[in-house]
Amino acid sequence: MDQLRRLWPFVRRYRRRLLIGALCALAATAVAAMIPQIVRFAVDDLNTRGVVLDRLVQYGGLLLLAALVEGVLRYGQRTQIIGTSHLIDFDMREALFAKLLTLDQGFFTTMHTGDLMTRVTNDLSAVRMFLGPGVSNLLGSTLLLLTAATLMFLTNPMLAAIVVLLLPMVAVLFVVIGGRMRAIFRKVQDQFGEISTRAQENFSGIRTIKAYAQEDAEIRVFREANERYRALNLRYVLLSGMLWPIIGLMLGVIGAFVLLIGGRMVAAGEMTVGELVLFNAYLAQLAWPVIALGWTVDLYQQGAASLVRISEVLQRRPAIASPPDAPRDFVVRGEVEFRNVGLRFSHNRSNGNSSGHHTRASSPADHPLVSGAPEWVLRHISFRVPQGSSLGIVGATGAGKTTLVNLLARVRDPDEGQVLVDGHDVRTLPLDALRRGIGYVPQDTFLFSVPIRENVTFGRPDATEDQIAHALAVSRLVNDVEQFPDGIDTLIGERGVTLSGGQKQRTAIARAILRNPAILILDDALSSVDTHTAAEILAGLRSIMKGRTSIIIAQRIATVKDADQIIVLHNGEIVERGTHRELLDLGGRYAEMYRRELLRAELEDE
Amino acid sequence: MSRGQFDDDEILGKAYDATLVRRLGVFVAPYWRRLALATALMFGGAAVELAPPFLVKQAIDGPIAARDPAGVLPLFGLYAAALLAAFGFRYGQTYIVQSVGQQVMVDIRTRIFSHIQRMSLAFFDRNPVGRLITRLTNDVDALNEFITQGTVALLGDLVRLLFIVITMLLLNWRLALISFIMFPAVMLASSVFQRIMRGVYRRVRQRIARINAFLNEQISGVLVTQLFNREEQSRIRFAELSRDYLAAQLESNRTFAVFFPLINFLSVTALALLLYFGGQAVLADVATLGMLVAFIQYTDQAFQPIRQIAERYNTFQSAMASAERVFRVLDTPATVVDPEHPRALPSPVRGEITFENVWFTYDAEAAGPDGSGLADTDDRWVLRGISFTIPAGQAVAVVGATGAGKTSLVSLMARFYDIQRGSIKLDGIDIRELRQAELRRHVSAVPQDPVCFSGSIASNIRLHDESISDEQVRRAAEIARAAPFIERLPGGYEYEVRERGSNLSVGQRQLLAFARAIAFNPEVLLILDEATSSVDTETEALMQEALERLIQGRTSIVIAHRLSTIRHVDRILVLHKGRLVEDGSHEELLAKRGYYYRLYQLQFAEAGELRTEN
Ligand SMILES: Nc1ncnc2c1ncn2[C@@H]1O[C@H](COP(=O)(O)OP(=O)(O)OP(=O)(O)O)[C@@H](O)[C@H]1O
Ligand SMILES: Nc1ncnc2c1ncn2[C@@H]1O[C@H](COP(=O)(O)OP(=O)(O)OP(=O)(O)O)[C@@H](O)[C@H]1O
Ligand SMILES: [Mg+2]
Ligand SMILES: [Mg+2]
Repeated sequence: MDQLRRLWPFVRRYRRRLLIGALCALAATAVAAMIPQIVRFAVDDLNTRGVVLDRLVQYGGLLLLAALVEGVLRYGQRTQIIGTSHLIDFDMREALFAKLLTLDQGFFTTMHTGDLMTRVTNDLSAVRMFLGPGVSNLLGSTLLLLTAATLMFLTNPMLAAIVVLLLPMVAVLFVVIGGRMRAIFRKVQDQFGEISTRAQENFSGIRTIKAYAQEDAEIRVFREANERYRALNLRYVLLSGMLWPIIGLMLGVIGAFVLLIGGRMVAAGEMTVGELVLFNAYLAQLAWPVIALGWTVDLYQQGAASLVRISEVLQRRPAIASPPDAPRDFVVRGEVEFRNVGLRFSHNRSNGNSSGHHTRASSPADHPLVSGAPEWVLRHISFRVPQGSSLGIVGATGAGKTTLVNLLARVRDPDEGQVLVDGHDVRTLPLDALRRGIGYVPQDTFLFSVPIRENVTFGRPDATEDQIAHALAVSRLVNDVEQFPDGIDTLIGERGVTLSGGQKQRTAIARAILRNPAILILDDALSSVDTHTAAEILAGLRSIMKGRTSIIIAQRIATVKDADQIIVLHNGEIVERGTHRELLDLGGRYAEMYRRELLRAELEDE
Repeated sequence: MSRGQFDDDEILGKAYDATLVRRLGVFVAPYWRRLALATALMFGGAAVELAPPFLVKQAIDGPIAARDPAGVLPLFGLYAAALLAAFGFRYGQTYIVQSVGQQVMVDIRTRIFSHIQRMSLAFFDRNPVGRLITRLTNDVDALNEFITQGTVALLGDLVRLLFIVITMLLLNWRLALISFIMFPAVMLASSVFQRIMRGVYRRVRQRIARINAFLNEQISGVLVTQLFNREEQSRIRFAELSRDYLAAQLESNRTFAVFFPLINFLSVTALALLLYFGGQAVLADVATLGMLVAFIQYTDQAFQPIRQIAERYNTFQSAMASAERVFRVLDTPATVVDPEHPRALPSPVRGEITFENVWFTYDAEAAGPDGSGLADTDDRWVLRGISFTIPAGQAVAVVGATGAGKTSLVSLMARFYDIQRGSIKLDGIDIRELRQAELRRHVSAVPQDPVCFSGSIASNIRLHDESISDEQVRRAAEIARAAPFIERLPGGYEYEVRERGSNLSVGQRQLLAFARAIAFNPEVLLILDEATSSVDTETEALMQEALERLIQGRTSIVIAHRLSTIRHVDRILVLHKGRLVEDGSHEELLAKRGYYYRLYQLQFAEAGELRTEN
């Protein structure tokens, strides 16, 4: 029941609808309870033969009227209660998605996309099933149970007492079986997330899988994941399949007692046959609601298990957020400073899953951190980039370059020290204003499967045609775009799969410069672009970046040599800094890198 | 590029339900024994369930009317026995049917997944991952309903209905006919609702698929959305999709809200009629009162399966809507297929590659099977009349401006796509005459976008190929120069790589992809598509050395923008806008003073510039 409290914020908005629905349910139940009553009178009348034809017409008419009223009320009940469950479903889906949009990379690296998708769709519908049909049933059944019980008491207290005493047995069973069911269902859903994850990773990495002819192996692994899912589901069915029949059994037992004892009572003249028939009718009326209760228990267990999975996302606090007291209209000017910045990632170790390749879909809690403090990825980073100047960053693979610029855009926050923009710690600035001031070309290009135009104007939907044309020109994308069938309106595949590597990178560059940012970050953004085009792009950038701050990460000296300031990262620390000239004179790593490049050029020269 | 519209989850036309059911039947057929058993149990259950009302009638008309309490006892015993039997039958039936349903789901899922695995890359270019996942998850789930609701249970309802009808007819056919008056009305109502629900369910399916596709993309690209302040727009778009889904759901709900009360109303109508006419019968002594009471119960009982059937019919519709989509995937033929009678490569494979007048476009549909659909001058050709031969063991570089078609050229060698004109041969055999698995066993490619999977570092190198030992993994990593960084990771080779390698640097991912290619130890052909573009120059130089040793005796093709990384090659192919414009050794091409010369000059000038500054 604890989980239910988490639903309250979503349910609250619809109190009125639910109330109306509940009233409809109440009224419908009352009407429904009248139907056997009418039948009873008819039967008793017939029994005493005191009935005439027009009485029968009356009874029939009453029955029809009751049924009509009940139908209208049921319509109300369903549209209100189940309709509300769809509305809540919608609200929760929106809330989940909105939450996902605010969550940080720390969260997304620990979760699997496929599993997250399962939570937003599959788990949500489990919750909806409980809220809608489940609650509706619960309500209807409880009312029906209560009225039937009351009427039974009115008819024959003695018999009714027996029934009421026996009913709690059913409840106990529900609780016992239900608890087990929920525990298993959580596993079922986790495994379902795993299947979804398997498929998701496979389809996204299909090129690699095909290149290594791993299709059969992938099919095997996928089948195994499915078999595990089946096995778990069977364990669930073993319990849930019992609910219905067992209720039937219980009710039957109760019915038998009623027959036995009622028969004696009738024989003893303590009860009329009509009363016994009536009692039986009420008992029959109990069957459906009690079965429905069993079903509701099933839905509740599933919904509760799923709700936990959903709450894991909804309750998650974004690690990166605007502070509440952030200045309102802040505009980035472009001065950047790092003060003694340090950062470490908490590392998780693989489960050593024997199937290798893939590990189970996991909630963050499943992975205990490897003991011992994680290593510093960045340490003692201090530098200042005055507004309008440029910074080049070079360093070996894995030195921490990407991590460093990510701190500036607050993809992560440092564990020690401060990152300052225009003299303010970025953690005190409004997040959206900070990011609005930054044009970031990430190392890992991500494009959306929308037309190229929308990708380019992604950070600035209101850009004019001229501005777009200019961005395309600077990023040297014009020629390519001209060749596309629909030009700039050509739709591209997911992640930009239908573009060449260089085209993707240049689209990302165009996207960043169209923002006209105060700070431009290029993270190895020319790696897939040929030298000739790269040189043109750099020249273009130099002219538009006049007076703006730029940070350029590169593996080639030629890309950074003109920067006002260059830092060399090594193992997460700045080991050299200065201008190109100064660094060459220093004769350290940078000079060595430079020599290596020169040497190659010379070799080629021969 | 797949020009124009991408496949969408449009609402499909009229479904041929009978065909769909038959095709689903194929998946269920292997389990007919178990289903037959379940059916037998169900029959037993239905028969046993008839007993209680009959026993009640007996009790009331017999011992109770005769005021003989002791006479109730044997009936009581029978009653209890019937109950226990009913429990056993029902539970057994439910469990068996559910277990078959689960098994069939495994089969269908695996089948869809396998089918998708066989599709060529063109299919993946067109279909968003989220949509494919919907087929595997939500749609298959809906199919499960077909099995749990559409087979034994449906049969069960029909049989129960039949039993009740027969019993009623036998007991008193007049009263029975009165009870049945409403049946035609029920059928009419059901068929009207069914028609409405079919459309509604299709919309529900279509819209959930759209939500999934959008969701998948948004989750993968959430960082970009955040960095570019697009959260609001994404939310609005998502709300639109979600609202469409909501609308379909509400529509379905309203339909049900009318349908079920209507059926209920019809059942009460039947009751009223029974009371009216039956009452007269009792008065006329044509029927006993006990009989009438039993009939009232029977009518109620008869409407239960009817209600159930109506409901099942509806869930059935939902399953059909999914089945359509699932079969549409299964019916999509793979465009790159293995030949019926594959030829074997001569062993040992030497690795000679020949391109003969190869024309290729990603728009295979417009081009038609023989490429006659597109004029030679059409922009859509990505490769235009490429011919060359790479003798076994030669190291070749492909250079050219971005978008020239380099990646396309090498993906053709692994037969990721089929060409429209010309032929590609490995050791003189057209690669279309080989099995794809066979071909790819001889080819190892490091793609331009290195992909990592979630799992350990080791499993990223060996994928699912268990024949690659830990030792081999280690060696491959060492050769690829990935070992130094791996060993520094906590856990080393057991370090858990996250989806897409998000907890590795991009250069590290490239090193891993390189190690993977080495671990798979291609017999003849090694393809590196900008395999070192994001790696620092020091590591790159070391990789270069390793590579030079590795390609001894192997044919290798390297794509690189930095000319310095291709100095070891024997030969250079220059691509320009899909044409092979130059072909020759470094010296020959320089002497030609063509495209390569200019490219070279440019990098040389850059280096020269650096030097003079010094
Ligand atoms: N899957 C695809 N579907 C449709 N068009 C594609 C696809 N992949 C590439 N293209 C198009 O084919 C052309 C050649 O692309 P290709 O990837 O072969 O270029 P490339 O020479 O490798 O370029 P780069 O150096 O930028 O990687 C480009 O215009 C690109 O847009
Ligand atoms: N999300 C993460 N969780 C844990 N470790 C990470 C994560 N992202 C990066 N790392 C580790 O931090 C180190 C620095 O990574 P980073 O991406 O900053 O390197 P880089 O200098 O950009 O390298 P490259 O030149 O290859 O792009 C690497 O060792 C990497 O494995
Ligand atoms: Mg990086
Ligand atoms: Mg390419």
